[in-house]
Amino acid sequence: MESDRLVSKILLFIDGSEGCIYAAKFGIALAKVTGAELKALYVVNTNLLRQLEKARIFVKVEEIDFGRDLEEDGRRYLRHITELALRKEVSIETELLKGNVHELVIQEIKKWNADLLIIGELEPILSKQDTFHDEAEIIFRKAHCSVLVIKNPERVDQIYEELS
Amino acid sequence: MKLSALLERKNIVVPILNLDKQPVIEELLDAACATGKVTDRAKALQALMDREKLGSTGLEKGLAIPHARTNAVYGIVLAVGIAPDGVDFQAADGEFSNLFFLLIASEAMTTTYIQVLALIARLSQQESFRRNLLAARTPGEVLDIVNKAEE
Repeated sequence: MESDRLVSKILLFIDGSEGCIYAAKFGIALAKVTGAELKALYVVNTNLLRQLEKARIFVKVEEIDFGRDLEEDGRRYLRHITELALRKEVSIETELLKGNVHELVIQEIKKWNADLLIIGELEPILSKQDTFHDEAEIIFRKAHCSVLVIKNPERVDQIYEELS
Repeated sequence: MKLSALLERKNIVVPILNLDKQPVIEELLDAACATGKVTDRAKALQALMDREKLGSTGLEKGLAIPHARTNAVYGIVLAVGIAPDGVDFQAADGEFSNLFFLLIASEAMTTTYIQVLALIARLSQQESFRRNLLAARTPGEVLDIVNKAEE
């Protein structure tokens, strides 16, 4: 890690939400300004699919179908974010994983040695006994690096568009 | 995504008038159609009934979540219904279902669809949420309860 930089390695958490696109745009802007390395990570939430199946909301065939479709979604999101980065001449690496979202993101922070994680806005907290928890919130709490939660989409759009 | 963002008075049915599975689904689907997002009602109904053939979407504790992905809708559509006396929905626990969330979404909305299903499950795990909804007598009251739960 280069110590003279404000930030050296920025990991973007991409979850398919609208907020993650703004997180990505802000991350691209920050990488452009700081010269930090940028990586976007999408995790197919097979854990949630299993929980939905366990709760009988899904039948097995749906769990399999949705797993496949989520993977396609993930690849599409990563392609879109790559295009957003390249449009601003920012290099970006992408990775798609499958499994328990927060565990894999935390692992990736360590493995890639990220010093900043950028995520979209968090979901509302509904219950302490929340089985179908918001993965981003757990990542926010458990990440070993600094975490930036991106809000104010209009301002982020403006920042992204004004990048040369 | 919040459930309240998908709900208006016109897609809330209180009380549900029908007593059998398909008519209940149709009653909820009609409420979903009121949003203007359902482009082909017959196709949407077919998708919902095809999903029921895979296994009843009647779960436990009176909750039922009939759902399907189909390109007969634009985006994602939710309808909520309350049946105070219960409906035989062939639920997993053998009990009558009285709280219904009907969800239909286009094929392109996979991520949002799963997130909304998980959100319904999250909210419905709360006994107070279920109890308050069952006591609701108007769509406005249902909206208030959902809004409050998501505050």
